[in-house]
Amino acid sequence: MTPLLEIDDLTQRFGGLQALSNFSFFMEDRELVGLIGPNGAGKTTVFNVVSGFYDPTEGDIRFGGKRINGMKPHQVTALGMARTFQNIRLWNDMSVLDNIRLARYAWLGYGFLGATLRTKRYRQAEKAIEKKAREVLEIMDLTDAAEELPKNLPYGLQRRIELARALAGNPRLLLLDEPAAGLNSADVEGLIRQIRWVYDEFKISIWMIEHQMKVVMSLCQRLTVVDFGRVIAEGTPEEIRNNPAVIKAYLGDDTL
Amino acid sequence: MQRYALNILFPVAAVVLVVLAQVGWLDRYVLTVVTFIGINCIFAVSLNVVNGYMGEFSCGHGGFMCVGAYAGSLLSVAFFTDSRLFGASLFPPESAPFLFPLVLVGASLAAALFGLIVALPSFNTRDDYLAIITIAANYIIISVVENIDAIGGPRGFSGMKRAVNAMSDVAELPWMLIWTIVGLFVCVATIRRLMTSTYGKGISAVSQNEVAAEMMGINTNRVKIMAFMVSSGLAGLSGALYAHVYGYVNAQSFNILRSTEGLVMVYLGGMGSTSGVLMAAVAFTLLVELLRFVIPWLNDLLHAASLLPASYELSQIWKWVFIPLLLILLMQFRPEGLLGNRELTQVFPRLKRWITFR
Repeated sequence: MTPLLEIDDLTQRFGGLQALSNFSFFMEDRELVGLIGPNGAGKTTVFNVVSGFYDPTEGDIRFGGKRINGMKPHQVTALGMARTFQNIRLWNDMSVLDNIRLARYAWLGYGFLGATLRTKRYRQAEKAIEKKAREVLEIMDLTDAAEELPKNLPYGLQRRIELARALAGNPRLLLLDEPAAGLNSADVEGLIRQIRWVYDEFKISIWMIEHQMKVVMSLCQRLTVVDFGRVIAEGTPEEIRNNPAVIKAYLGDDTL
Repeated sequence: MQRYALNILFPVAAVVLVVLAQVGWLDRYVLTVVTFIGINCIFAVSLNVVNGYMGEFSCGHGGFMCVGAYAGSLLSVAFFTDSRLFGASLFPPESAPFLFPLVLVGASLAAALFGLIVALPSFNTRDDYLAIITIAANYIIISVVENIDAIGGPRGFSGMKRAVNAMSDVAELPWMLIWTIVGLFVCVATIRRLMTSTYGKGISAVSQNEVAAEMMGINTNRVKIMAFMVSSGLAGLSGALYAHVYGYVNAQSFNILRSTEGLVMVYLGGMGSTSGVLMAAVAFTLLVELLRFVIPWLNDLLHAASLLPASYELSQIWKWVFIPLLLILLMQFRPEGLLGNRELTQVFPRLKRWITFR
């Protein structure tokens, strides 16, 4: 069976800065894995390259056996990858429902003429989109917020909307970039339950970046640790916890 | 019911107008002003697609109106009249009332094609830089037109009056008023339908967070091409109508001053609000018409009060002091415009009982 995601020797340079060097990684279908590392280690860069936002300088990325480097983000999304952002990126001046609806954009099935002439295909497509969006809102317990503008909602709810938006695209792989950022400890408990529930309910694979050890340790089956753009350790949460290289990366060299 | 209120109200108003014009209750001057209100409405509402809904700053909208005006003029001269440029008419002149929509569609398509000039650089450029590019595009279009001698060069191009007369020969109706009303209806319906569809909301998504849009599966480059082409195409429609109302076109009528008029109307109405921009276009056109009377009156008054030297006459050029002044005051005191990103029904919720824009 082909792995869901394979990254071979990925190198990413921005001018003179080497953000990633020979980063390799793979994950199977239905895995829930984590990517951790100190600030500025290059975690978000990995996500940005994988989702097509940056073109990799060197290396290969295959998603579901298909080579995706050089693809535009919207093409990668159409293949079944969705993501959330470290700092929330919602469309703040349109309703929550519209936010979710737009996540179906890659599968619209009609174009300019369809929209302006209101063809049968347009009406069917919009009906299906509306149904799907309402469903996702219902599942994510957001129905009451459907007509609100995201900017008027509390932070925790905005995070949930972003997750709902990502799920509305029926992804095979969900990339979560620091889902617990800015949440208090009570919210973090809820988030852990929610991610586990999403993982079971939607039968998808999840790759997450997270700083809070509590989250990754209780959720992830496997962890990859990066520092200065390199993979410094891989293994189960238990192994990572006791890995000297990881402890050194996080706490510094004790031979000061 | 409310959903159809606009669709019913509009034709009723249109028929009333045409009947009034037909029985001679509206004199030629009022008729022309009303027609120009319609043309300005199309021009402003089309600019609003890019400057309002997409949040980019296009300052060269006049250029697309220019392309539409010339393309429309050339088409109707070739179709319905015997001319030196194209020889005998392509279709019998009696067909003009029926085939005129082809002219309008052709002009819109031509202008939409030129919209690509601005759409392509917009992939990598935003804000101020894109604004500069749009100004440049405006100048390029005008210089190109002025340097093609076959279509009159800087002298301008005429002959469309004969096409309009050909329509009047078939039936004595205020044809250009009718076509302007039809054009405005098509324009507003297109934008309204576009912006209520998920497809069109991609434009708002690009405006509100382009990174999120691209990441969530929206082909942002294609959205930009679409928005610019719709916007410039509808500006072309307004240009073609303008050319036929005047019966004469000159590239300089579509220079940066025309683009500025568009900006004033959009910012007066409120970016991203079609109903606001429509109201602003009506108010603005009336205001400019009013200046035609106010300036001579002001001139007399100032001379009577001996505040102006006898050798100086306040001329219509002063219009170009008052209009930019309006823009400055607007930016200073109400930068969000009259309605500011909201439709009329959102500002006055009670209206929802009668009408919806969404």
